[in-house]
Amino acid sequence: MGIIRASQIKSPWILHFDNSSCNGCDIEVLACLTPLYDVERFGMVNMGNPKHADVLVVTGPVNYRTARVLKNLYSQVPDPKMVIAVGTCACSGGVFHNCYNILGGVDKVLPVDVYVPGCAARPEAIIDGVVLALQKLAKAVGVAK
Amino acid sequence: MNQVWIAIVAIIVAPLIGGLLAGIDRKITARLQGRYGPPLIQPFYDFFKLLGKTRIATSRTQFIWLYGYLIFMIAALVMLVLKQDLLLLVFLLGFAGISFVLAGFSCKSPYSHFGANRELLQILAYEPVLLLMALGVFATNGSFMISEIFESSTPLLAKLWPIFIALLVVLTIKMRKSPFDISTSHHGHQELVKGIMTEISGPYYALVTLTEWYELVLVLGLIALFWANPLWVEILIALAAFVLELIIDNINARMTAGWMVRFTWAVGLVLCILNIAYLYFMKGVS
Amino acid sequence: MTLEWMLAIAILLPLIAGILVFIIRQYQLRGLIVILTAAVLIVNSIYFLKIGLPVEYTPESHMWGTIITILDYAMLLFYIYVGLSLKNWLVFIFALTQIVPLAWWEFGMGASKALEEIKPAFVIDQLSVVMVLVISIIGSLICVYAIRYMFDHEHHLNLEKSRQSRFLFWLVMFLGAMNGLVMANNLMWLYFFWEVTTLCCFQLIAHDLTKEAINNGARALWMNSIGGTAMVLAMIYLYQTYGGDVEYLTVSTIIQSGGAEVLLLLPVALLCFTGMIKAAQMPFQTWLLGAMVAPTPVSALLHSSTMVKAGVYLVLRLAPAFNPLLGIMVAICGAFTFFAASVLAISQTTGKRVLAYSTIANLGLIIACAGINTELSIAAGILLIIFHAISKGLLFLCAGTIEHLIWSREIEDMEGLAEKAPLTTFITAIGMLSMFLPPFGMLLGKWMALEAAYLIPLAAFLFILASAATMVFWAKWLGRLLQVLPRLGRKLESLSLSYSVPLWVLVLGIFVFGIGVAPVYEKFVQFAVNNVIAIGNVFTEGWNIVLPGGAAAFSRVGVELLGSYPVWPLFIVFAVAIVMPLLVIGLKPQELRPVYLCGEQVGDSTDTDEWISAGDEKAKLQLGGYYFKDALGEKALDPWVYTVAIALLVIMFGIVLGVGL
Repeated sequence: MGIIRASQIKSPWILHFDNSSCNGCDIEVLACLTPLYDVERFGMVNMGNPKHADVLVVTGPVNYRTARVLKNLYSQVPDPKMVIAVGTCACSGGVFHNCYNILGGVDKVLPVDVYVPGCAARPEAIIDGVVLALQKLAKAVGVAK
Repeated sequence: MNQVWIAIVAIIVAPLIGGLLAGIDRKITARLQGRYGPPLIQPFYDFFKLLGKTRIATSRTQFIWLYGYLIFMIAALVMLVLKQDLLLLVFLLGFAGISFVLAGFSCKSPYSHFGANRELLQILAYEPVLLLMALGVFATNGSFMISEIFESSTPLLAKLWPIFIALLVVLTIKMRKSPFDISTSHHGHQELVKGIMTEISGPYYALVTLTEWYELVLVLGLIALFWANPLWVEILIALAAFVLELIIDNINARMTAGWMVRFTWAVGLVLCILNIAYLYFMKGVS
Repeated sequence: MTLEWMLAIAILLPLIAGILVFIIRQYQLRGLIVILTAAVLIVNSIYFLKIGLPVEYTPESHMWGTIITILDYAMLLFYIYVGLSLKNWLVFIFALTQIVPLAWWEFGMGASKALEEIKPAFVIDQLSVVMVLVISIIGSLICVYAIRYMFDHEHHLNLEKSRQSRFLFWLVMFLGAMNGLVMANNLMWLYFFWEVTTLCCFQLIAHDLTKEAINNGARALWMNSIGGTAMVLAMIYLYQTYGGDVEYLTVSTIIQSGGAEVLLLLPVALLCFTGMIKAAQMPFQTWLLGAMVAPTPVSALLHSSTMVKAGVYLVLRLAPAFNPLLGIMVAICGAFTFFAASVLAISQTTGKRVLAYSTIANLGLIIACAGINTELSIAAGILLIIFHAISKGLLFLCAGTIEHLIWSREIEDMEGLAEKAPLTTFITAIGMLSMFLPPFGMLLGKWMALEAAYLIPLAAFLFILASAATMVFWAKWLGRLLQVLPRLGRKLESLSLSYSVPLWVLVLGIFVFGIGVAPVYEKFVQFAVNNVIAIGNVFTEGWNIVLPGGAAAFSRVGVELLGSYPVWPLFIVFAVAIVMPLLVIGLKPQELRPVYLCGEQVGDSTDTDEWISAGDEKAKLQLGGYYFKDALGEKALDPWVYTVAIALLVIMFGIVLGVGL
């Protein structure tokens, strides 16, 4: 159904998960919702529930405890879904790299589609990352321009 | 035969109107918050996107209750456009609500149960007001039939304005707007994850969205009955009520479920009772 | 078959069968007798449809009158004995208040000779036939259910000596007494059957012989004895007022007065009061709640087809003899009970108590319908009797089946029953939904009652609040049953034949009567209303119910149309609702997943309801229902309920005495 595929890239609902970040990136993610950036222009809504989400936005490095939760949440997001790692820590572990309790970046646990680097990642970068993810999704479902 | 066509047209057109109203809702809300807001047809994008998602569920019977929700809502709408019995319409609307509650109960999820219990309290809060509205209409027109409303020359609002105010409170509950967005909310975040909607995802979510569009049209239709003739006033009064709800939504915080029941019973019921008592009294005098 | 034989079968066969069952101690043979009796009663009751109605019948010989008088005194002496042996002074006092005036009247004043001349003894009209059908069919099904139930019940209790024979004796005899009650026209005979039902009720409630059972049985006995006293007083008052004219000691004469005779007002109010006690109206609801300790077939029988239905039957029967003021008061009393019981039901944690409150509520509704006293409301009342009997019978049988599956009556223990016993849950769900879901009959009745209630706005207001509360407590309970984990490979449980046959027959009844509400209405209710109303007041409201055919037959010239119940769109919706899930089977879940627990659930398998708690330990997910005990519990509400209910009764009698004197 063309209309469904076309809609899939118009309405990304986001689930934001914080592993063990310093909260810098989380504040930037929330900043996207403010009138200054207003991601709802693109139909993005910040959901509190993986079952309603399309895009899993993860901040912070994965530690041993959050790895289990992250996997559980990912499995509860219905297909088609995208994962965006926001911030240096989520991409690679950042300053926490090689800590005793840290596994590393999100890609140690989940297949990541888009990496948004930055410490903390700027809201523009995050929005850009989501748009990039959507383009990837568009290619996957075959409605890319 | 004519009636069948009216019903079919209503069933097709109502969700379009409902979806568009939902879009207007998001746009106006965004503007009130100083944002630009999503496109007007964003609710339709959301709807179709949800249809394309995988159907994951936590219970095998849940979708049957969601169907019940949709079907009884449509039935109530058909009763409205065919100008049938108001009382029966309210009963159907009530069962639609119950069916939704049972959908919430039918999986073992704490959030969903909280939401369902709260939804039940909402039904307890608004159902008497709706039934009393029907009684008020009877006291004015001498009939429960909606068709009679259209035949009378004076608008209901003249005699039933207290009930109209009570109905606006019901509209707030039905549209899931603050201060009554208690069982679930259209905004992303709330304290019960997503309340009764927590375990309803993908196409099932789309089903609920569709039903809510029907519901919106139906409840606004009930509001419009208060000034049934001519048509443009009818539409205007419904739209005015709709915009009023959006403003109420944006200037209020969410209240507790107990407060909601107390408020609707203390304010809504008392308004209805006074109104009906007055009507009966006047009838007795004349 | 002649009328004589039909009456004999309806009234005496259960007694004979009861005695046989009592003597025979073998399980199979006893069961066979009960089943045969049930079959004969059902066929016999259907034969009542074939005779021309209404008919009168008086037995030739005076022997029956003498037997009844002897039995009357025997029963009252037995009550006195019960009162003394249990040291329950209320039972004792209220037995005395019956036997003393009765003996004084019959022998002291020498009325006994004249009382033998009361004619006709039986009048059978459409309303009686509706009741006979309800009693014989649903009551018989419950008796069949009881065969196996009592076997399991005693098995569970590990009794040394079986008391099933005794139980079945009272159970089967109950049906005969009820059949007699709804056909009796002679007030003396009506009183006799009335007392027999009270006696059966006492014996059945006290059956388990636990302290609680005996106490509750005694409570049922003394409360209903107050009703019996009121009835005796009504009869004596009638006899005295009309100077020994026994003509006024028949139901038909009282009804024919049409509420015009002031002298009749007090006896009618007293009889009404009797009916209200038997129908467990507030403030007399406790006897029916106490009856819940009895084995479940008793509850099913008391609630659906017998006992409490006798109460509402009497009030409905007397409706034409209400004067408007009395009618309004009866309506408000009934409506208040409907409201208070529905609200109290929300806070109940025991399944059977919810059912009991729901019964009390619905009986209140029926009595309110009688009080409103228009064609529409009377028809609503009769429809409610029929549909309530079917649905409530089914629900109690389900409650019994559930009890024997999980050995508990608590709603919280029924959590997730859909998983353990999908079949029983399915049937229970149908029963519950039929109590408030369109297009089943109960909703139709409620709708008609509400439409008719416009005459008495206060009653209408109470109806409205009550019907909102009704939905809440049913949905709450149903929600507890339905809560499941999506486990794979669920199996249907197997039910014994004696359980499943009555259950499925009643389910079938719900659907047939729900879908065929138009013919049911035309065949039974319409004529019954004619019977009740045509004799007495004819009100001007016409109606346009169900189908054009029925409407045309009933609408008169210059009639105000109250709206109609357009059944066809509902049935289309209903059919669609059944078919749609089949058509869109594509919407069945593709994947089953555990519920959202903030990502803390253990693993991704659907079978788990465990999560990892803050202490890194596995914890089981536990959910409970809301009961609002603090706000809506009996402790909080009972003082108010009693105050208002007693005040309403006082006002009712105040008005009656005021008008009467």
